[in-house]
Amino acid sequence: MLPHLIAIGWGVLGLAVCSLAADLPGNLAIDPTAAIKTQVPRVVPNSGRLQWKPHSRDLTEWPSLGYQDKRPTPKPQVTRLEGPSNGDVARGLGIAMDPARGNCVACHQLPGDAWPGTVGNPLLHYRRYGHQDAQVYQQIFDARVFNPNSVMPAYGTFGILSDQDVRDLVAFLQSLD
Amino acid sequence: MIRIAGFPLVWGASTLLGLALVQPPALSAEPAPYREMERPLETYIPHASGDRKFSNTYRYWKDPKNLDWRLAGNPDENWKLNWKFMDPPFNQAIHGGHFALDRGESLYKFLNRGGSFAACLGAGKGGLKGLRTSYPRYDKTLKRVVGLEEKIQICGAIEGRVLENGSYDNSAISLYIAGFSKGMPMRIDVSKGPLKEAFERGRRLYHTRAGRMNFACATCHIHNVGKHLRGNTVTTPFGDVVHFPVYRTKYELQSLQLRFMECNLDTGTQPLLPGSPAYTDLEVFLSALSNGYAVTVPSERD
Ligand code: HEC
Repeated sequence: MLPHLIAIGWGVLGLAVCSLAADLPGNLAIDPTAAIKTQVPRVVPNSGRLQWKPHSRDLTEWPSLGYQDKRPTPKPQVTRLEGPSNGDVARGLGIAMDPARGNCVACHQLPGDAWPGTVGNPLLHYRRYGHQDAQVYQQIFDARVFNPNSVMPAYGTFGILSDQDVRDLVAFLQSLD
Repeated sequence: MIRIAGFPLVWGASTLLGLALVQPPALSAEPAPYREMERPLETYIPHASGDRKFSNTYRYWKDPKNLDWRLAGNPDENWKLNWKFMDPPFNQAIHGGHFALDRGESLYKFLNRGGSFAACLGAGKGGLKGLRTSYPRYDKTLKRVVGLEEKIQICGAIEGRVLENGSYDNSAISLYIAGFSKGMPMRIDVSKGPLKEAFERGRRLYHTRAGRMNFACATCHIHNVGKHLRGNTVTTPFGDVVHFPVYRTKYELQSLQLRFMECNLDTGTQPLLPGSPAYTDLEVFLSALSNGYAVTVPSERD
């Protein structure tokens, strides 16, 4: 039997836990018919039911913690940037600050931010580290190539940012003196 | 020019279907071994004092009655108090948790008018006293480990009432039940049997990377404790469960598993349904890390 059929026993919340096709594992908080499948629970006072509303982004394409989810972690990808990044500094700044895109500022210190994250190293004067563009590109695209235990999201490999986005970030970082 | 070497990974539906056909579905399966893990995969002493090996803040919060208020005044240090049960805007006198308690009491009394609801929940001679401290537990009828809120849902259904796991009414009853264990230490035995297995699976899951960011719970809660993530400071996972379900300004009443959903969503990971086996294993794991720490309800967090 397919996993999604087994899953129906757990579908206690009025959310369908099996997807339309057999392409998603069971136990996910999703509405398989919605444009954004990922659903967020809302607690309604004095009610025995949860309400569900779509999340701001569909998250079903990445692996979850569910036991029926057999999708692997995407493997580290090696990149080769030849020549300069040719990125756009202003666009890079926007991506770094945007919670929905790079959100670098959540973990790193960047100029002009009042609530800097302290998880990653400060990027205030990034250029002074003296890294090559290709190295910076790789770090953003998939830092696991340098350090398998890296906490930094693999923006390229996981499809979070495009090639141009990463180039813009490289240009932005290399402009910080 | 960009050349990309390595494994281009595309999760086509066909690949997944193929996997689904060859892999027998197993609800209690090991977390997928082909997932990246947050290393090292630590061992954990199943007691609040196990924190000594990690954030080593236990000495500041082990005795909630004698907190060092000097730390509280210092924004760089107050995370060490681990006093999540009274984060601002905590108001001892009255907050949303108190209303939830009232709701829980009337629902419980109504459902238990014949006494069968309490029996179903596993209340013995002592009634509800101490019941909270021994959940999650192995359920002989269901032949698996259940959390208190899942059990409330099941027993509610037997009484003909919908109490979805994570819903306000379910958590309100859970809170009411927890009130009978106020001041009593958590004590779940993960040294043997199904609870030990659940603890082990939960421990692995806690270190399993997932989602868009490829974070594991441990990425933040073990390796970045005390660090700032924007306006939030990450705290130790030890001693967490004793103040759940918690009143949240944004969430009304939040059960522990709804908090898992929140942390999943915050890190771009598709959340699971409350009561799913993986979340229950995480609940067992975190509950054991609160062993020896007193139940503190009703509590409030921003
Ligand atoms: C990106 C970092 C991050 C990740 C990854 C993360 N959390 Fe959290 N978590 C936080 C922050 C920040 C808070 C709020 C501050 C605190 O209580 O530590 C929090 C709070 C919590 C709380 C509430 C603590 C309390 O006592 O109120 C629980 C429980 C929790 N997380 C569990 C998990 C679990 C389980 C996972 C993995 C599925 C996880 N977290 C993943 C950052 C994270």
